[in-house]
Amino acid sequence: MNTQNATAEETVDILVIGAGASGGAATAWLAEAGFNVKCLEQGYWQDPSKYASASKDYEFEMLTNWAPDPNKRQREEDYPVNDTDSPVTPVMFNGVGGSTILWTAHTPRFHPSDFRVKTLDGVADDWPLTYDELEEFYDLNDEVMGCSGINGDPANPPRSPRQMPPLPLGKDGRKLISGFEKLGWHWWPSDSYINSQRYGEGRDACNYCGHNHMGCYQRAKSSTDLTYWPRALRSGATIETGARVRRITVDENGRATGADYIDAKGNERHQSARAVIMAANGIGTPRLMLNSKSDAHPEGLANSSGLVGKNLMFHPFAMISGVFPEKMETWQGPLGNIGLSQEFYETDKSRGFVRGYTYQFQRSLGPAWIAKGGFRDPVPWGEGHHEELQKRLGSVMGMAVIGEDLPEEHNMVDLDPELTDSHGIPAPRLNYTLSKNSRDQLDHAIGNAKKVLEAAGASDIHVDPMMRQSGWHLMGTARMGDDPKKSVVDKWGQAHDVDNLFIVDGSVFVTGAAVNPTPTIQALALRTADYIVSNRQDLKG
Amino acid sequence: MSANTTNTNIDQNVLAALLDRLIPAIDDLPSAGQMGLAEEIIRLSGQQDRFSKIFTNAMGSFASINPNFITSDGTEQDAAIRAFESNSPELFDSILTISYIVYYKDERVHKRIGWSGNTPQPDGNEMEPWDESILENMRKREPFWRQV
Repeated sequence: MNTQNATAEETVDILVIGAGASGGAATAWLAEAGFNVKCLEQGYWQDPSKYASASKDYEFEMLTNWAPDPNKRQREEDYPVNDTDSPVTPVMFNGVGGSTILWTAHTPRFHPSDFRVKTLDGVADDWPLTYDELEEFYDLNDEVMGCSGINGDPANPPRSPRQMPPLPLGKDGRKLISGFEKLGWHWWPSDSYINSQRYGEGRDACNYCGHNHMGCYQRAKSSTDLTYWPRALRSGATIETGARVRRITVDENGRATGADYIDAKGNERHQSARAVIMAANGIGTPRLMLNSKSDAHPEGLANSSGLVGKNLMFHPFAMISGVFPEKMETWQGPLGNIGLSQEFYETDKSRGFVRGYTYQFQRSLGPAWIAKGGFRDPVPWGEGHHEELQKRLGSVMGMAVIGEDLPEEHNMVDLDPELTDSHGIPAPRLNYTLSKNSRDQLDHAIGNAKKVLEAAGASDIHVDPMMRQSGWHLMGTARMGDDPKKSVVDKWGQAHDVDNLFIVDGSVFVTGAAVNPTPTIQALALRTADYIVSNRQDLKG
Repeated sequence: MSANTTNTNIDQNVLAALLDRLIPAIDDLPSAGQMGLAEEIIRLSGQQDRFSKIFTNAMGSFASINPNFITSDGTEQDAAIRAFESNSPELFDSILTISYIVYYKDERVHKRIGWSGNTPQPDGNEMEPWDESILENMRKREPFWRQV
């Protein structure tokens, strides 16, 4: 594709691709340090007052125009993902704020052991950094995003105080917790980037509408359009929305020079930059790098290792739910932000697998959601429908299992030979198989979840052994490491092959731990930005 | 993203008859077809291109496989529905899903099941405040995270 018609642009210091969790954090940090930063985002700003949660057709909207799966949402700004060869479908959002628009904002941290899996358990690889090195950036991120939670969790190291007290547990949460208490198993209130009281700029406290996974009308759930982006823009950063990047461009030496993109009006353009930061998520980033082949990078940008797109990790989810005899108004309160259990988080090889898992406690929602099944099979149609609906409404609670998925090269993102987005750019294709270790984790977790639910008084226990629509956490596809032959970026997120290319999204994860990854993604993004500020002043014009 | 059209390729009478079997009468409420929900289902299904195509295909397939559905008795209708559900689960799911969505947003249904019917926002819900005392047992537990 030629770019002869491209409009000449000012050369910026840093061009950031993607305005989500990591792109927002990196942009704000760099702009506040005086860099001239521009972001290209293929989606648009969102108006919280227009989120589906205020629509009378919100149940329909959740399945269609606000579906978390881009293949179901099919907005103009989305790109298709071929998931035919994956038992897990991708979940993401394209817009300012990225997937933080539709996330549940459940925000536990990695454990120190998660950075040392090779040393401790002889599997995968150690990270080239430690929990201690990342801790200050976790803290900084908590301050900007705003964390509700409480200190004292015996499953995690001591840490700085949260900004707000935990979200209340509710009748339903207390009921589920009673099962853990009876068994003597660990549980702790969730860390959530949801305001339990007013915090941040114009952000109110949660009003417990229960639908935080469909955009927060109240602005109580933290998303980077509400947190990092206002700071970034005040510091002089710019963002261009509706801008779909076609490729990262390079010079004859293979150094990044900017990006070719299509603007919101359909014009082919080029943005030149002294450095590029990729923040397009664990699928979008490798897709773009593989679409950026050149004479200097014939296998794709910064891909001399051959690992761009490889080692895709999800967190395979199982969901175990039960029906309680009590009516507990389970639609009140954030869907998945009650508490967690890490009783089985650390490796115990007597269990027959390495690494471990987290339970994340789940509420259930209103009658249409219940009728459709929620975490279970739909309420049967015909005879008996009304009785079953009444039995489940307000009484279903679940436990999601987040297992640690170890990296395997055959699990990958590559380019589909035929499928393209609306601009003809090759779309990503997933090839993913659940490993035996991950399956064994999930099966172990299913057995123990049944014990918890029964101890808490639930019956009619239902198991989804692996949720299909569960690809929220996209990790590992441009991993970090010290060895350029075994990794794509170094410990600072700088590409081994291209000294002015950085990656700050979940692609850089070496392993995935068994927790929601966003605080770790954002902490790493801040750390990379801090490295640039401290060591790459040469990138300033 | 949004088709925003009314789908005229769907036989409303077949849909109404189907609804009557999917969600039968209860208490003082007639069955879903008799409640007149077919029209709203057709309208709502047209609000997104992707879903509209799937639903239109589903209804077209169902109607073509069962040309005498409307005049069949209940037992025969149920058998036809179960056969379709078994042979075309994804298509059937689109019909069942939107049928449930429209039924459970109807004020008459809300009144019968005691559901407020409010959209999640802007009112939200009330919850009791955080109670620290529930952590009493957990706070007694020794740290067990793995030292590195």
